Parts: sequence; structure tokens; C-alpha cells
Amino acid sequence: MSARARARAVLIPAAAVLAVAAACGSDGGSTGDGDQIELTYWTHTHPPMTELNEQLIAEYEEANPNVDITYETIPNNDFGTKMLTSLSNGSGPDIINMDDSALRGEYIPKQLLAPIDPSAFGVESVEELEALYVDGTLDGAKGDDDTLYGVPSEFNATAFAINTQHFADAGLDPASPPQTWDDVSEYGQQLVAAGHEGFNFVYLHSGWHTQQLQTLLNETGGSILNEDGTGSALTEPESVEALQIWYDLIREDQVGNADTASREATSPFEDFASGRRSMTMIYPWAVEQIAQDNPETFENLAVVPLPQVDPANPSGRWYGYYFAVNKASEQQEEAWRFIEYMTSQHERWLTDVNFVQPLQGWEQSEAAANIPFLDVWSQAYQQGTFDEVGPHWSEVQDAIKAAVERSIFDGQPPAESLEEASESVDQSVSS
Amino acid sequence: MALTRTAPDRAGGERARLPGAGRAGWRRRRDAVGLVFALPALVLFAAFAIYPMLRVFQLSLYDYNLTSPPVWVGLDNFRFLFGDERFLASLGASLFYVAVTYGPAVLLALILALGLNTRMHGSAFVRLLYFAPVATSWVAVSVIWRLVLQPEGLLNQTLNTDIPWLTSSTWAKWAIAIAAIWKEVGFFLIIFLAGLQNIPKDLQEAAALDGAGSLRRLRYVTLPLLKPITVVVLVMAVIRGFQSFSPQVVLTGGSFGTEVINLFVYKTAFASARMGRASAVAVLMFILLLMVTFVQLRALRRSA
Repeated sequence: MSARARARAVLIPAAAVLAVAAACGSDGGSTGDGDQIELTYWTHTHPPMTELNEQLIAEYEEANPNVDITYETIPNNDFGTKMLTSLSNGSGPDIINMDDSALRGEYIPKQLLAPIDPSAFGVESVEELEALYVDGTLDGAKGDDDTLYGVPSEFNATAFAINTQHFADAGLDPASPPQTWDDVSEYGQQLVAAGHEGFNFVYLHSGWHTQQLQTLLNETGGSILNEDGTGSALTEPESVEALQIWYDLIREDQVGNADTASREATSPFEDFASGRRSMTMIYPWAVEQIAQDNPETFENLAVVPLPQVDPANPSGRWYGYYFAVNKASEQQEEAWRFIEYMTSQHERWLTDVNFVQPLQGWEQSEAAANIPFLDVWSQAYQQGTFDEVGPHWSEVQDAIKAAVERSIFDGQPPAESLEEASESVDQSVSS
Repeated sequence: MALTRTAPDRAGGERARLPGAGRAGWRRRRDAVGLVFALPALVLFAAFAIYPMLRVFQLSLYDYNLTSPPVWVGLDNFRFLFGDERFLASLGASLFYVAVTYGPAVLLALILALGLNTRMHGSAFVRLLYFAPVATSWVAVSVIWRLVLQPEGLLNQTLNTDIPWLTSSTWAKWAIAIAAIWKEVGFFLIIFLAGLQNIPKDLQEAAALDGAGSLRRLRYVTLPLLKPITVVVLVMAVIRGFQSFSPQVVLTGGSFGTEVINLFVYKTAFASARMGRASAVAVLMFILLLMVTFVQLRALRRSA
């Protein structure tokens, strides 16, 4: 081998190594233009919301030519895990849109979010900003020290949907909807006899299992954790009663079949929307999705108050999604400006996707006047509470999901099933 | 010039005689050039395989939630796991999956390979059919099987049953095993076929001339000569079984007793942000697989 050939044999691979090393070492963070601002924004997947987000981003970019926003939707089943992991390792988006349980349970305690910048909203203090919203509705994005980390993109209360055509098929009067869960059972059995699935819950992932049990817990007076949040309260009689309602409806009274329920996370109310199911718990955003995807069902849709264990003392469940900013973002100022623009379009959020952004007086706005069943939603917004959260909440949700599955799918009595779940919850919150 | 020694070349002849110092130098240069060529791959392997593995070993001794600095806890993560019902259940789910999926899959692959090890017309096409599921991604296969296994799906229609395959603690683990056998048989079939085609034909012919029937030839000629391949297949089967993740995620989400060990690691690490505990599980699995493989190799060598 000649000296030149030997040198080539050594230098070419060495150059390859250096090239690989150089590529691995590149941070890729520079935009190459000092004035250009790049923002990243992640949400879960909800097609009507995605469409409006894209429109608003385009408008904002047009008005601010130096801002380039990369918008990404994450599949719903992976959303929590991907967002938490990416924020934790510093690679997350500048702007997030996340539910209050995750914010209060994980993101805020782990200090992953930037406190809100009131100046971006044209006010001088957080107190002034809070005064713009209905009382209590910003609590879903507050830490234990009352620091505020976000503003709502959607704020949801829980109501109940019925298919009026199905009611007519079963000889039921849609003007007299079920007021209690016993009514749901009775009506449900008649609807089944008429060839429909009377009622069912939604079985998508642990978050859904937990939020539906929480709705029932709010009514029975039960809870997931004890008062100081150090252990489980799932074996308390009021908590067992909540799962017992679920068990009785599905396994004893057979008003619905859990085995055949849809598992399509992008369209959680698919069974109702497709006209297969007659009754379901529902949130405001789902109404617009049904209107868009299933106009025939929408024609027969009526939204009524949520059935209660004790109608004289009604309760409800609130939950919200909030715009927030990654604490590691280098573009926090611009991120809050973009969020301010998004919330300034609250009437379009209401009109286009039925997202309520609970600013003071939203019910009297022109956009609200056209919202179907506004009176029911207004009532539902009067009596809600946010879900419980605690340490390692995803494990608690997994334990609840397993308990629901043991009882509803495998037939284990609720008391036994919750006993097992309780041990898991105790272990999760204490370790 | 003194000629000190000779070395056979690749063809078995004698290489040209080289002086000792010259030959040693040539070897050093050859090794250096080889090392330089291998360096890019070694660097990548070290960066993306060795380093993460070492980090997992290290992290298993810490409490680390991704956002706070790791805290040294010694063997606490391991102690916790040995008393954790969810971990033990996931270990049980993995063992069940390995046994119920890969036992039948390997046996079926061997039987099919024996049947397909002929030059009959169309055998290549049949082999291709069996291999097609192997070339398909696990996610795609799982989506297909989700349709097959749903309450009103193909399997219930064919069997005229009403079994909740994917929503029952009794059936879900069997349903996943059925889908996995369908996918994995082709992989082992190809390996067995390669092994069968390497068995010299004259041994079979000699046994036949000695009066051995087809079953005796299978027992005394084919299977013993296939033993090295069988060892490889069994080791790979156990490893592939314990690595399972996608079918459980897509078909059941880990519900109904199907949360296998990799899914448990994933949830512990990324949903619960308990990186130390998840690393401890990974270390335990590494040790377990190492032991199982060692036992398999010893047992098969002893029986050889």
C-alpha cells in the first residue's frame, strides 16, 4: 500500500467520524435570524379545535410576520405522557394546552411552567386578570401558593345528552328526562327494549375512567383521597356507592354493553353521535363535534341537567384546559402575547367549537346567544368542582381504571375492587 | 535476509515468506486500518447502546423524576419492586406471554419448516405468505387483530361465540397470544428452514438405506443436527417475548392482566416520572434474561 493510499485509508474514516460527531454535537437551536421568533405549540387532538387553532395561528403570523408558530397535535392517548416527558427534559413546546388535573397534579408542582405575565393581557396585576374571569375558574391553573400559570382555552361543566328520537321509539317523553341515576336505569332498560343501547360510560383511558368516577363521587360525597391527601378514601361507603351506581347500571340493569363500547379517543362520544346510544354524560365541546360529524343525531339531541343521586342537592364536575407557557421557553414574552390573542378570540371559540372561555358575562355575549342549550350549561356552570389531584396522579388514575375494569368488565363487586385499588393508591401517594 | 516463519493463506497454501518484523508491522497496520473503519460504528454503538445501558444501571440506584436532581437511594428501588404487586403482576404477564406465545409459535414453526423443506411447486410462495406478517409492523398487525378480535369480529363470527376477547381478564391475554403466534411463526420458520437446508442430504439418504423410516430419520438425524439452530431459536424466542410492548399497547392498553414488563417500565418511567424505579426494573430484567439464556444454553449443551 502506498503512503497516499494508507493516508486515504486512515483519513476518510476519520473524517466520517468527525462528521458524525459534528452532527451529533449540533444544537440546532439557532434560527439564523435574530429578529425571527419561532414558537412551538402542542395540543391534544380534537378536530374542530385543531381547525380553529390553525386559523388563529395563520392570522397571528400574518399580523406578526416575524413570528413563526409550529403547531402540533398529539394523539389523545399519548398526550399526557409525551407532554410531561418533553417538558421534563427541556425539549417541550413553548406553549402548551393542558387539562387542569395534569397542571395541578404534575406540571405546577414540578415547576415546569412559567407564571403568567399579566402585562401581555393589558393588565397590571394577576388580580386584575382574575377579575376578568368568572370566580374560581382560574383555580385549575393555580399552584398551592396561589400563583397563576395559565388561562382557560376551554372550561367545561358536565351535563347529560339524550336522543329524543330514541326516547320516542321507547315511548318515553323527551320533555321528562331522567333526574336521578335510578331514572337512567329505568329509562335505559326501556330504551334497550326498543333496540338501542340505553346508556353507557366512556372507556378510553385512565383519565376518562377517573373523571367519570369523580363525577359520581361528587354526587355521593365520596372521594379518591382522604382529607389530607395522604392516603386512599376509596373504601369509604360513599366512594363505594359511586362505583356501585356504575356497576348496577351496566352489569345488573344492563342498560349498556361495556364490551362493545367505542375506543376511539379522537371521538369519545362516538357511540352516542353515531346514533347507537341513547343517553350519555356530555361536555360543551362534544355538542359541536356531533353537529359537525353527525348532523342527523344533532337534530335529535337534547342536553339536559346531569342526573343526580340527590336532586335536592345537585353537584357537578368542572374541568378545563389552559394555555400555559413552558418555563424553559426562551420566547416567554411572545408566547404570552400569542396566548392573549388566542383568548381575545373567545367569541369564535364559543361559536366555532363550543369552547367556553369563562370571562365575566360570557353568557350574555352575542356568541353565547346562539349556543344550543345555553340554559342547561349555565346551570351546570353554577355547581361544579375541580377534580381531586395528588402525588403520582397517573398511578392513582391507573389504579382507578383497573378497579373500574375489574368491576364493570369482569364483574368483581365494587367494594372488593376498590379495596384492591385503595392499596395501590396508598402505595402511590406515599412513595 | 532470514526467513523466519510461514503462514497459511486463505486458500490453505503458504503465504509468501515475510520477515518477522515486517510481518508484525503489516499486522499492526492492518489492525489499525480495520479499527479506523470500525470506529464510526463503535462510536455510535458506545453512544447509543453502551452509555445508555450504563446510565440505566447507575439510575437504578437513584430516585430521579426528570425535573429534580437524582437522589441516591441505594437498593431501595429493588427492595420496593420485590414487594410491589403491580410489578409482580407485570412479570407474571410477561412470563405468561412468553410461554403461551413462543412455545406454540416455535413448535408450529418447526412443523411447518419440516413440511416446507421440499422443492415442491409453489413452496417459495407459501414461505413468503408465512413470512409476510413478520415483515409487517407490530402496530399494523395489532390494528388488524383488533378488528378480528372485537365482539362482532371475524373470530367470534367464525367460532359462533360471543367472547369479549379484548375486554376480559380471562380472555385478553389469550387473545394477544393468538395474534402474536400468527405474527411470530414466520420468523422462526425462516430460521428453521435455513437450518434444515444445511443438513447434508447424504445423511438422510444413508439413514434411509439403513431402513430408517421418516419418523426415525426425523428423530435421529434431523432434530439432532438442528439442535444448534434450535438453541438460537429458543434464546431469541425468550428475548423477543420479554421485549413485547406494541401488541399490549394497541390491543388492550395494558388492561385486563396484559401489562407486560416493558409496558410497566414505560409507564413507570414516562407517565409516573419514576426513572430510578423504571431503571431498576430494566436491570432486573437484564439479569433475569441473562440467567434464562445461560440456563437454556447449559441445558441444551448437556442434552447434546
